[in-house]
Amino acid sequence: MSGDKMDIETAEQRLKALEHSEQHYFNSYNHHGIHEEMLKDEVRTRSYMNAIVQNKHLFKDKIVLDVGCGTGILSMFAVKAGAKHVIGVDMSTIIFKAREIAEVNGLSDKITFIQGKMEEIEMPFPKVDIIISEWMGYFLLYESMLDTVLYARDKYLNKDGLIFPDKATIFVAGIEDGDYKEEKIGFWDNVYGFDYSPLKETALSEPLVDTVDLKAVVTDPTPVLTLDLYKCTTADLAFSCPFDLTARRDDFIHALVAWFDIEFTACHKPIRFSTGPHTKYTHWKQTVFYLKDMLTVQQGEKVECSLHNRPNEKNKRDLDIKVQYRLETQDPTRTAEGTCLYKMC
Amino acid sequence: MTAPTRDPRDDALSSPSSTGTDSVSDEGEWLDADNQDGEDEDAVAIISLVDDRVFGDALSMIAYCKESHGLDFLAIRDRLGLDFHGSVKLINFIRQRVHEGAALPAQIELKDLEDDRYLKPVLDDDALILCLDDLPEPAAAGAGAKEGEEDGGVPPPKVDVLLQKNAELQAQLEQLAKQFNNYRLAVQTTLDQRWEATDGPAAGGDAKSAAAGEVKKAATVEAPKEKADDSAYYFESYAHNDIHEVMLKDAVRTDAYRDFIYQNKHLFAGKVVLDIGCGTGILSMFCARAGAKQVIAVDNSNIIDKARENIFHNGLGSVITTVKGKIEEVVLPVQQVDIIVSEWMGYCLLYEAMLPSVIWARDRYLAPQGLLVPSHASIWMAPVADQEYVADHINFWRDVYGFDMKPMMTGIYTDARPTVLPASSVCGSSKGGAFRFLDLHTTTVEDLVFDAPWASTLNEGVDAADVDGFLVWFDCFFAQSRDDKTVLPTSTALEWASQKKDDGLVAFTTGPFSTETHWRQGLLLVDEKNKKKQAKAVAGGAAAVVVEGGEKKPQQISGRIQFITSEGHARGVDIKVTWGLDGSDPKLDQTWLLH
Repeated sequence: MSGDKMDIETAEQRLKALEHSEQHYFNSYNHHGIHEEMLKDEVRTRSYMNAIVQNKHLFKDKIVLDVGCGTGILSMFAVKAGAKHVIGVDMSTIIFKAREIAEVNGLSDKITFIQGKMEEIEMPFPKVDIIISEWMGYFLLYESMLDTVLYARDKYLNKDGLIFPDKATIFVAGIEDGDYKEEKIGFWDNVYGFDYSPLKETALSEPLVDTVDLKAVVTDPTPVLTLDLYKCTTADLAFSCPFDLTARRDDFIHALVAWFDIEFTACHKPIRFSTGPHTKYTHWKQTVFYLKDMLTVQQGEKVECSLHNRPNEKNKRDLDIKVQYRLETQDPTRTAEGTCLYKMC
Repeated sequence: MTAPTRDPRDDALSSPSSTGTDSVSDEGEWLDADNQDGEDEDAVAIISLVDDRVFGDALSMIAYCKESHGLDFLAIRDRLGLDFHGSVKLINFIRQRVHEGAALPAQIELKDLEDDRYLKPVLDDDALILCLDDLPEPAAAGAGAKEGEEDGGVPPPKVDVLLQKNAELQAQLEQLAKQFNNYRLAVQTTLDQRWEATDGPAAGGDAKSAAAGEVKKAATVEAPKEKADDSAYYFESYAHNDIHEVMLKDAVRTDAYRDFIYQNKHLFAGKVVLDIGCGTGILSMFCARAGAKQVIAVDNSNIIDKARENIFHNGLGSVITTVKGKIEEVVLPVQQVDIIVSEWMGYCLLYEAMLPSVIWARDRYLAPQGLLVPSHASIWMAPVADQEYVADHINFWRDVYGFDMKPMMTGIYTDARPTVLPASSVCGSSKGGAFRFLDLHTTTVEDLVFDAPWASTLNEGVDAADVDGFLVWFDCFFAQSRDDKTVLPTSTALEWASQKKDDGLVAFTTGPFSTETHWRQGLLLVDEKNKKKQAKAVAGGAAAVVVEGGEKKPQQISGRIQFITSEGHARGVDIKVTWGLDGSDPKLDQTWLLH
């Protein structure tokens, strides 16, 4: 198998060829913190485990591709579920750890780990039956590997092949967030008695990844993007969506919060998980977009909004996001309208 | 090395004054030039188009831009035939580019200025825009062909005025050119001195430059390593907002500097202060508010652009001069400073290795009776036992959803982990005092690599076999005088600062018994082999449980701790601990890397 030609020697050669900072990353425990965090994210890891291990009838004797395999946990789930062979692909040097881990667990002969870019590697199988991947980033799309998954789908997935997960939806709601906005944004107005407004503009234009209390949610949530992984293309990652937010109660709106839900519809009993404020913590938390104005809303009123997202032209991994909002009320003093630009980078 | 000589932007020209007494005899004269120019009390402050220099009138600024950067504002305006709005756009176009750090086009064209957004001022209350009407009219140069043709003739009185202005401008230009030459000379001299001190085997005359030479030599040995350890990455890591937000919001840290500076204004009043690694400029601004005559803020990270803006927004641009670059390479507008303030501390105090730069600057720039802020630092260590931590971070990997992920533990026993542990995990005293104590006024780079004794008495009921690791932290002291004798290796920050509470004594700790800081503590986990040895030693009687009238005698751990320069990581530190139980020869040893 061409995957196995990556013997220790080649691996070491590759390691030596790495950037100094990357070698550092590979050799240091402190830099593996993100994998510890992801594995300890029970909502995430347990959902994948259930989706795979509870569906042995789908995985039995199948060829499985794990895109962005990290420590290899999903690949090992797939083996446990009866897969004939699993190919784990990751650009990061963490894959060397994945290989060691598979070895320790006696699964080496069932999993081939390949370090490199999906677009450049040589696959040991021309086609695969199932693609599994945990590709989601903050706000679903930030630094996500979705484009790599779609590439793998188009190039390697059998006609009737399955994708785990296969559906993703972004939701948006309005939140009352006065205290925290003051702490995060207002902070720059007065830093130990000094005006730090040059840093405030930056702070306003950077969406904040943090947990939002359910009590802070003022409006009904609205979906702004649904991706069907069997059909969508990279062009869908740049999208514009008009939507209305309806206030559930009289309150203020300082920001919009976004989160996403993930579904494994191929499962015998569909499995889904949410990263929203209404449910258990995940390492994705939620993403908060502070508005310039504070909106004063009454129960039942609608805020007309639109959200535009596109990958930055220079750096594809960064996102340029535009939010427009308009609140029309009988009371002209509460009428508000605005456009905010954000950059996730 | 060439950058400083070629880049006359460094803010020497406009510095209001200098305490420097050095070989360039006329330095004081030209440095004071700006002050002499600003005769009127109500003089406007015109920010330079190309940097953050401030001028008393638009013409001097324009002359400066032309002379130093070849940016001739009037010529561009006249070439493009710009009216008032066009000129406003031109100003904002240039300011926007400079603000973004983008290069200006070789030749600015009308199409560059088409966008109406350039009507919006880049600087609030831009004084340059306000006095646009006072600038000489295009016809004066005879180059404003378009207008010239239309007007036909120019009325004589106007010509007189313009000729006079022209003459004034010429004079100013000459003066600036002279200043610039002097400045160049000063730079040259400074560099020559430094090279002598660096290269020549003790060629320099006075003791100070010889000392600087020694330090520099030590630094030179490091240099190749620093290249390997991509230090660009190091500075780049400080370019983003987040890290500065974390540091500013670390109230233990920022309060300490603020309290010391504001409660000791008499120390800062009228002084020249150097801020090394200024970040967003907060410490510089504290010093300026405390009455410093001049503050020079140096940072090699791009965050200095934000610092410059912050300083300007707070009206402190005339006191604080920002200089981008490494402290060892930049040219400062002064030869000597009265105070060096710096927040250089890293994990376990010495990680990041910024202290050598501060020491270098101390030897190069600090006045003989000058003050370092902070003035002292000490490093401490205590044994810890924390089963919960071990379960969460070590045992976790042995069963991850049914899989053994032991390979992920690589490094867990060989990396020093920046971690916050609760006070309850500390299982022995650190009463013996700090294992390393630095009086920063006299510390040398050699002092940062050391081998020191260390001891701890375990808490009652704690068995040496229970020790999971060691916790390292540091205390920082802000003495009011370099001759202070009250800070001792046994002083803890909390005790020392509380002895004369309202007297401006400030100190802080990053240890486990106080509010957590962004430095956390350094956790050194004892590996399995040594855990077994510890248990064996206890069982074997080296630390036999002594029963005295039914009471268990507390056990002792003692040994040595070494800080070693990390191989291949110029900014890293290796920490080696050797230890034994109850005064026996240290039999156990382990090394942790902090990088």
